[in-house]
Amino acid sequence: MNTLFAVIIGVLTFYVGYRYYARRIDRDVIQADANRMTPARLYADGVDFVPTSRNVLYGYHFKSIAAAGPIVGAITAANLWGWLPALLWLVVGVCFIGWASDYSAIMLSVRNEGNSLSAMAHRLITPRSRTIFFVFIFFYLLLVAGAFANLVADVLNSQAQAPFGIIVLMAMGLLLGQMLYRWRVGLILATAITVGLTVVAVLLGPVPAISGIFRDGINAGVNSLSGGQPLYAVVNPMAQAPTNVLPSYIFWGLFALVFCYLGSVLPIWRWAQPVVYIGFWITAAAIVLGLLGAALAVVVRPELAAFNLPAVKAFDGGSGGAFQPIWPMLFVTIACGAISGWHALFGSVGTARQLEYETDALPVGGGSMFTEFLLGLLALLAVTVAGKGAGAPAFASGLGGFISIFGLPRPYAESLAFAAFVVIVLVVTQLIFRVMRVTLTEWLGESIPAFRNVHVATVVSLAIALLLMLSGTWIYLWQLFGGANQLMASLSLLVVTLWLVSSGRSATFVGIPMVFMYVTTMFANLVTAYNLYVTVFAPSVGKAGREMPVVGSALMIIVALLLIGAALVIGYDGLRAYRRYRRPEAGAPTRAPRPA
Amino acid sequence: MSEGERRSFWQNLVRGFQDVVYGMASHDMTRYALRTRSSMEHLFILTTMGDLLGVPILPPYYSLRLLPYVVPQIATWKRRMLREKDLSDVLA
Repeated sequence: MNTLFAVIIGVLTFYVGYRYYARRIDRDVIQADANRMTPARLYADGVDFVPTSRNVLYGYHFKSIAAAGPIVGAITAANLWGWLPALLWLVVGVCFIGWASDYSAIMLSVRNEGNSLSAMAHRLITPRSRTIFFVFIFFYLLLVAGAFANLVADVLNSQAQAPFGIIVLMAMGLLLGQMLYRWRVGLILATAITVGLTVVAVLLGPVPAISGIFRDGINAGVNSLSGGQPLYAVVNPMAQAPTNVLPSYIFWGLFALVFCYLGSVLPIWRWAQPVVYIGFWITAAAIVLGLLGAALAVVVRPELAAFNLPAVKAFDGGSGGAFQPIWPMLFVTIACGAISGWHALFGSVGTARQLEYETDALPVGGGSMFTEFLLGLLALLAVTVAGKGAGAPAFASGLGGFISIFGLPRPYAESLAFAAFVVIVLVVTQLIFRVMRVTLTEWLGESIPAFRNVHVATVVSLAIALLLMLSGTWIYLWQLFGGANQLMASLSLLVVTLWLVSSGRSATFVGIPMVFMYVTTMFANLVTAYNLYVTVFAPSVGKAGREMPVVGSALMIIVALLLIGAALVIGYDGLRAYRRYRRPEAGAPTRAPRPA
Repeated sequence: MSEGERRSFWQNLVRGFQDVVYGMASHDMTRYALRTRSSMEHLFILTTMGDLLGVPILPPYYSLRLLPYVVPQIATWKRRMLREKDLSDVLA
């Protein structure tokens, strides 16, 4: 097995899944019709409802759904179970579930006046399902913020070549906002200056004079505060011994949160948008070069194309008492490259309201999902050829190898790969905190007026995420996030199933994936709660110096049980709604109620 | 394939690529600018035509003078104000 073969599998999956399955569903079941009015054309308010070219929408939708999820999930799964199970789930998941979830959520919204998934759940299932949807969204955001902040802190702390590029990115973000919106500099010139300087800074990262400042200056200086001793230890079920937490890790964690704080409280044009814009060019360059390099490696540098990770490591990837069976844990560890609830949620409120023709929904929604699968595949290839190491370093080593095929020396190529990884995680995390801040204000602003203050709402969001970051066990945090995400996906598929059943159409293509994802994710959350109890909570409780793991695991077990409870309620309500639409009783509505 | 058709194919390809890149890089920023402008316009309508909602901010004389300029936007304004919204709208 080599990278070219894997790339061919990826491209074939894309072609066959899209051409022979997705198009058939689009034509025969949903019956997309270019002549039917879409909400964008019907309402055309020039703001939310704007008819937009499908090429633009494809780029917009893909960028909005493709973050660190497909990358981190594939890396983690390959290290737990080997590359083959991860590859199989990516292929099967995207072909039979992923595209269907994204596409059908968009079509549901398009056919229902641009209503969001939560509004449709309110109408088709029960009013309380909307509230449950919000519970999923909030915990999804919280868990992903904790997991991502943890990742960023770990990379910035352990990879001295990474921070310089990120600090320059921050400065360039401010400069770009100023140039575009205050000095009125043209976009091309402003892009050339800010992106160019950021790329130079990223490439300068490995230079000893610069990386030394961070390794020997900042990290060593901060660690000297505790005499080089760890502050506490967290349980790491992937390693034999607990992981020691040094002051420098906390320093870089706080640095990441300051970045996110600025993204949340500053005007969006001043910071968040310019940083996302610059980050886009860096990640796009790394990913495109990486994909091309993976395909060319077999011919140009065969040693970079060979797989160095076992195809199957174990059917139970757990260690240290943890239980990590392929089913159900693989299916929540890899979320976004195969299926994701976030995509459906975003598609229903963002993309669906800009769709000019119904027939654009498949290339935009389905096409973006298949493209994201390729991103997940690239991450899987990078970590598989790297072979040794775990997580971000393995990914950067593999991706750096692919990029080095184009003549860039390996250390600089790896620096670009590290920067792409950190940037893609960090820019998403800052936007997550922005949404969390608004969510908290909407939820609690009425009863607790202090939450109407942007700083209070942001700091509270950051504090909760910081608690998870410092006390949580990363692998479980990630799998719990995957659980929340996949439960949201099964909920989205449930809403679409009920919509199709209520209108007398076949719902098999979403109904079977919905049942599979619902059952799988429920079991996965149970396994995560069990793992947290057995490997973290029980061994740590009552022991001196183990307070942090106890707090973190207790918090995560509560979240896992809360998600399971919420999913049981919505599953029960969904079943009742299904029976209502399938076999209507006398006097009961046979169709979903129309909007008022 | 004729020379004209070939040029058209390449032109379409380049145009499509430009659109995709724009969608990834800048469409968000454009939408945000539109939203900001729209919010300002709606604030202006509220200030000048508050009578429609029972909030008389401006003396009716000036409201009537401005009415012809505001009329084209009232339908959009009403639809946007009255459309059912929930938390998930924040995501887009």
